[in-house]
Amino acid sequence: MRRQNDRRQESRRITLRSIWHTGLLLVSLAVFILMAVSVSRLLEARSEVSPGQEIKLKAEEKKEWSGSQLSPLHRIPLNDEFNQKIVPAAPNALPFSTRYSCEPCHSYSTISQGTHFNYKNRPAVDRRTEPWFLVDNRTGVQLPISFQKYPGFWSPEQLGLSDWRFVTLFARNLSGGGPGEPSDENQTPDSRWNVSGKLEINCLGCHHKSPLQDHSEWVKQVMRENFRWAATAASGLGEVVGMASRLPATWNIADGPNPDDREWAVVPQVRYNPNLFDSKNNAVLELPPPEDDRCLACHSVSPRTAKSRAEVDRDVHLQAGLKCVDCHRHDLSHEMVRGFEGEKLSRSNLQAQDFTCAGCHLGQKPEKGGKGFAGRLGAPRPAHKGIPKVHFERLACTVCHSGLLPEKEPQPIYTSRANRLGIFGKAVWTSEYPQLVEPVFVREADKKVYPERIMWPAFWAEIKDGELKPVDSQEILAAVPEIFNLKENVASLLNSLIPLAGEGFYPAVIISDCLFEPNVDGSLKARLLEKTPLAAKPGKGKFLLAQLKNGEVRPLLPEFDPDNPPAGVEDKVLSALQNLKPFANGRQPVFLIGKYIYRITEGYLDKAEKGGEPVSTPEICWLAGDEFQPFLSGFQVRNLAAIGSGPEILTEEQVTLALKKLSETKPDRKLAYVASGFVFSLDKNGKLKAGQHRAARAITWPLAHNVRPAQQALGKNGCTDCHSLNSRIFFGKIEASSPLKTSHRDSRLGADLMKTGPLFQFLFGFTFLVRPAFKLVLAACVLVMGLLLLAVIIRMTGRASGISGDSSGPESRS
Amino acid sequence: MIFGITSFVLIVGLSLRLTFGRYLSRLPEENRKFTVKNFKDYIKWVAGWKFSFLKLERWDRCLDYLIAWGRKNYQGWTVWVFYPLALCYVYLALSGMFFAWFVKRGLYGFPLLLHVAAGALFAISLTIVLFIKARVYLPEKLGPRAAAQENQQKGGFWCPLLKKSIARIYLEALAFWVFVVAGFLLALSTLGSMLPYFNYPAQIFFFHVHRWSALASVLAAILALDSIIVEVQAASAGERAEKPSR
Repeated sequence: MRRQNDRRQESRRITLRSIWHTGLLLVSLAVFILMAVSVSRLLEARSEVSPGQEIKLKAEEKKEWSGSQLSPLHRIPLNDEFNQKIVPAAPNALPFSTRYSCEPCHSYSTISQGTHFNYKNRPAVDRRTEPWFLVDNRTGVQLPISFQKYPGFWSPEQLGLSDWRFVTLFARNLSGGGPGEPSDENQTPDSRWNVSGKLEINCLGCHHKSPLQDHSEWVKQVMRENFRWAATAASGLGEVVGMASRLPATWNIADGPNPDDREWAVVPQVRYNPNLFDSKNNAVLELPPPEDDRCLACHSVSPRTAKSRAEVDRDVHLQAGLKCVDCHRHDLSHEMVRGFEGEKLSRSNLQAQDFTCAGCHLGQKPEKGGKGFAGRLGAPRPAHKGIPKVHFERLACTVCHSGLLPEKEPQPIYTSRANRLGIFGKAVWTSEYPQLVEPVFVREADKKVYPERIMWPAFWAEIKDGELKPVDSQEILAAVPEIFNLKENVASLLNSLIPLAGEGFYPAVIISDCLFEPNVDGSLKARLLEKTPLAAKPGKGKFLLAQLKNGEVRPLLPEFDPDNPPAGVEDKVLSALQNLKPFANGRQPVFLIGKYIYRITEGYLDKAEKGGEPVSTPEICWLAGDEFQPFLSGFQVRNLAAIGSGPEILTEEQVTLALKKLSETKPDRKLAYVASGFVFSLDKNGKLKAGQHRAARAITWPLAHNVRPAQQALGKNGCTDCHSLNSRIFFGKIEASSPLKTSHRDSRLGADLMKTGPLFQFLFGFTFLVRPAFKLVLAACVLVMGLLLLAVIIRMTGRASGISGDSSGPESRS
Repeated sequence: MIFGITSFVLIVGLSLRLTFGRYLSRLPEENRKFTVKNFKDYIKWVAGWKFSFLKLERWDRCLDYLIAWGRKNYQGWTVWVFYPLALCYVYLALSGMFFAWFVKRGLYGFPLLLHVAAGALFAISLTIVLFIKARVYLPEKLGPRAAAQENQQKGGFWCPLLKKSIARIYLEALAFWVFVVAGFLLALSTLGSMLPYFNYPAQIFFFHVHRWSALASVLAAILALDSIIVEVQAASAGERAEKPSR
């Protein structure tokens, strides 16, 4: 018995021991697994960190806002790009660097991820926005460029545009950062960053509330490649002289100014305004949230038909006292709320859906990401009386409330970024190209219709494996300059004839019904003649040299008796002929009058008998051997007559000639010109043919402003604002605008862009003719049915209450 | 979603119930029970229809049936009220329900245009039908007619729960008045959504009134088809068939 107990105890001990050992083993195993997991995670984290960075504990985030609604006055030291404090009175002071001046309080690296700076990494859900446009007025190029990936948008990589090239092309409307601050490994051989400096984020460009802040100065500085100086000059804190673009590529900021050259290659220098600094050399800056003018410098839109600013209504929200940034908000991340439905912010803490139209006016529902309360910022709640709900499901709010009121055709517009608005100076900066029009109504992938802007790309392209790749317009221009410099060449010829013009008069030429006169840009300005002021109107293929003064037009070439010339006339002829010599191309400029010919022989004016028939009117022409050639070639006259005073730049003849010459000079490449929705190339017979390609198709992007008040919204006057047999919305024809004068023009119907079909819209519009009658009939039916039902109810009620007796009516049921 | 599921369940459920009742009424009275056997036989009976409904001839006969019924029950010019009513209603119900069930966007495009046009004709026809037929289905007149139907031993509506036949006239009246009231609401909601006096929430309300009224209308139409058109015609056909044997 005792033995048995001992055995039992022994076996229990063994069991307990084995359990203890097993438990210990399990615990050890668990500890080992935990440690292994921790170590592997640590190693993983280390591998994600780029070399040089350290793994740190998450630092306590600095509070970005104190809680005060006040925008503090910034009395801060400005630092240069070497992080040295700027002393305004010091000679050769460097421009301030926003990276080192703002960083102590505001994280530059965080801000640099913002919408206006981080173009390359926009969130995938971002709606497409207006692209940048590469424009060349000679070769007829208007090419949309964007970092956003959408059909028809060309990325800088696809075009081979380096960061340097992109910034030099578009810095006028860049806020700095992003491509303006490429890393060292992203710098390309064509760049001159060491000379120009980086284009840092221009914080003051938006935030500086000072009358001295000047967008035009920014543009001027960046066009001079004074990137590191641009923010200083634009802020008004200092004046900048000199041009980095004229400095040799080897120049470096450490080299300082060049005392030997004070006229041409002047090193940019800053002269700070000491009145804007305090006694401790701190700049005194007022930096509130951006004012509207700062936004409008880059985001203005105006109809081309408007002759003055007074004709254009501003956005209704601005008129109501709101500012752009009241809706387009951001936090330190500078990720702007754009305000479209479905917007998702990836870095900001703001709820984007609170700032959509519905977010403020209707109160976006919580399940859609809003707070559910209408009336934000005093937004009135719309009644939308009588508008069927399909409109709210299928149309964006902006369809009825934004953009220009639709006309029969969309209206041409200027935008700041595309057409260089908002830059003021001696030169006229506004460019006619690209040609954008609005509004067109386009159904997007979300099946909703949006008002959009539209343009047709135009560019020279190489055809490879059926694909089109844009070719640099400068390459095309360099290959065949005589074809594209049509206006410039004629302008030069006309300017050579200035000695023949009377006092205060300038030479011009009349071709067909247009008068062409040289402009300040070295090109020609065309004006349509209402009636020919001269007795002899040039026939087809002819031209007439004229002189112009304040609208007065006279023949240019003097008529005189060559046997007895008035004093000074021959000197003028000599001077004009001398001016023409550089353009002679192996010929000789001559002046013909009567039976005489004037030419330059050994530097002197030589008058001789021409031989043959005397000329009836004086002529300037070219003598090639024994042949007299007209002053303007047939090519020049034909093409100027074809272009006339229209907006086009090129003719089909120019494109044909250019393609022919290019095929001769570059036989291994097949080139084409894309414009007006077609691809123009040469057929086997050398004639121009127009084909189609998706790269030639129009591109569109949604517009949001200017928002019109409810009283001017579409539909305010009833359904027929849109639904009628001749509706501007559905049957308005959108014809491709193009730099090429051609009969091949892509055109689209509004109904096609909305994918509703013109037949359906026609029939639907037709129903609105009979709708008043329809409503009357329906109302009558409802009334009769209602009365009958009421009678039945009254009768039943009467019977139930015993008021009415049993009545037997005739039964008609068969 | 809710409307789609509810309407589908109710329409299919009512159709099955009515056809099951019709099947039971063919059986001897002692066999009119909810049994598995009856249900299986019913399924076979219904499944047998598919062959006949695939034939154009069957549809042709249905049309002849409806035309004949119309001529018999709508005298003179009034038959030209009934035919458009029926024709428009078939299109309205089919287009409305098809898009509600299968197209997320709802009714749109050319079917919508035709829907609106058919709706106008339907409203006019329904108003006239109400005007000339309301007196037939006044509640005080149902009692004597129900008694007459019972005396004539016309096939009533077999209710297995009550285990007795209910006079068909009550179902006829129910179908008629539900159809009329639903039609009235359909027209009213259409008119309301077309007038520029109601805001967006009201538009939504009208939309819901329209589609739920449409469901009620379809259910009433199915009931009417069973209790008024097919039953009466069948009864009269039965009477005609009995005559030679007498």
